[in-house]
Amino acid sequence: MLRETWALYVREMKHWYRIKIQIFMALIQPIVWLGLFGQSFNFTNLFPSDLPGFDISQVLSGAPDYFSYLATGMLAVIALFTTMFAGMSLVWDRRFGFLTKLRVAPIPRGIVPVSRMNSAVTRAVVQALIVLLIALGFAYVPGLVGLTLSPDFGMLDLLGIIAVLTLLAIGFSCVFISVALAVENQETLFGLINLLNLPVMFASAALFPLSFMPSWLQGVAKLNPLTWAADACRTFAFHNTAPIFPVWQEVLFLGIFAAVMVGISVLVARKLLD
Amino acid sequence: MAAIIEVKDLVKVFDGKIRAVDGVSFEVEEGEIFGFLGPNGAGKSTTINMLVTLHRPTSGTAKVLGLDVVKEANKVRQGIGLVPQDLTVDDDLSGRENMVLQADLYNVDRKDASARIEELLRLVNLEDAADRLVKTYSGGMRKRLELAEGLIHRPRLLFLDEPTLGLDIQTRATMWEHIRRLKKEHNMTVFMTTHYLEEADSLCDRIGIIDRGRIMALDTPVTLKRSLGGDVLQMSIDDGKDFMPVIQQVPGVVEVKREGSEYRVKVLKGDTAMPTVLKAIIEAGGNVSSVSLQRPNMDQVFLEYTGRSLRDAEQTQSGDRGERFARARAAERRR
Repeated sequence: MLRETWALYVREMKHWYRIKIQIFMALIQPIVWLGLFGQSFNFTNLFPSDLPGFDISQVLSGAPDYFSYLATGMLAVIALFTTMFAGMSLVWDRRFGFLTKLRVAPIPRGIVPVSRMNSAVTRAVVQALIVLLIALGFAYVPGLVGLTLSPDFGMLDLLGIIAVLTLLAIGFSCVFISVALAVENQETLFGLINLLNLPVMFASAALFPLSFMPSWLQGVAKLNPLTWAADACRTFAFHNTAPIFPVWQEVLFLGIFAAVMVGISVLVARKLLD
Repeated sequence: MAAIIEVKDLVKVFDGKIRAVDGVSFEVEEGEIFGFLGPNGAGKSTTINMLVTLHRPTSGTAKVLGLDVVKEANKVRQGIGLVPQDLTVDDDLSGRENMVLQADLYNVDRKDASARIEELLRLVNLEDAADRLVKTYSGGMRKRLELAEGLIHRPRLLFLDEPTLGLDIQTRATMWEHIRRLKKEHNMTVFMTTHYLEEADSLCDRIGIIDRGRIMALDTPVTLKRSLGGDVLQMSIDDGKDFMPVIQQVPGVVEVKREGSEYRVKVLKGDTAMPTVLKAIIEAGGNVSSVSLQRPNMDQVFLEYTGRSLRDAEQTQSGDRGERFARARAAERRR
């Protein structure tokens, strides 16, 4: 079972690094966001810095400025966006017959979603780390704000961020894979993916602090895995003392989300690929 | 010899109304090349897809290698090879990478795998192109790679769904050569579908003629052709004299028709009857100016059993039933 999973994982990874433009395209969007949106919306300047008793970092989950806040949230958004390609590649495989090969092969059906999930997670984490480096690098470009991490940011914090992004990517890649397995028509699938992506992104703490939102939206956002992941990333990055949930809870929620979604995708594959 | 495929009353209904396969029963013996011949949309591919576990039969049973295709699907998958009609090779990998992936999916012993991959790539003449990406391959090369992939785990039974569809004549001939060699060297059983008459005629040990989801005839190509009543000698005899009585007396002659100096002689076996018929005419003083032997071909067989020529069948299929059927099948394939 491990051998087949590994073989399909290697195939997916070969597709990924052979099509360099795909990596470029996947990175260009977050970079543009960070470069334009993150810089222009850096509303830290709007608040008078000498206001007594006011600390902007309290609003921004410990981030010293909005750019840093956005950059850490963007790591989770990249994980979300990268995993949606896992669903799309499944649609192409169905269209070009490769899925037929897998259905005829004597392999457990669950291998199809699991191998694809593995490669989606690898891509998501690698791409998020590249963006993290770029955001840090912005600090050295004159005229741009860069990502400022906590002064005692260490290796464990980085591993924490990677773990959080991994769990998030596992969960969402399985969501998209399950949808792609269930939906036959590719136009419908792309529509569904868009329908899912934008609300998930905006109804979360990835781009804006929850305190800016009306209370009903805060309620929704607190149930959103993207919020848990973005908030946990900030706790690791800025050593935030007042997170939305304690970091262990957020990691636990993400773990449950990931496990449930893997289970669903395997069940869907068993039902629909046999 | 034991039956390697046993099919009983197999039915497949798409969308609750289109009976793609409508009560098909047959057996395939180990070691033979068995062909399904019929127009597009006759139910050939649907039958294959049920046998290789891609479609679930609506009713009826099918046993492959003695295993039920529904209840023991995974065991069936392990024992069979499939070269599907729509290609499944991965364009973004090289030929060899595709083979390695296939070996992994079928859990071919790692020690044997690389030697076997080389051997198979050589068999289908792809060893020089093995390290190129498949997207640079021609249609024939892809099909050959697909054949090599289907053989990676040395299956006892190979399914070929339209193995030469869309290939040029030379490539088709090489494909036939590969299939014959597989049967001869490995005693492999081959179940194939085709809508090329000459392909069924020259490759298959037995042929099932399938039309509108039903088997109309099933036998060896020779018997099917003979069932049409033998061969025809077409000849011209220049004299005005009537040679009908002379010809009718020759043993093996079934029927004689005359139109002026043209004679159509139906005989049981054309190759042995021709010399004796000619001899009788010459002895009676006749001067034969031309003679040709016409053997019934598969097209006539098809006409005989389905009531329409294969070409007509293709055309009407693409009309009503064929189109609805193709849509239903496309929908099924997307699953």
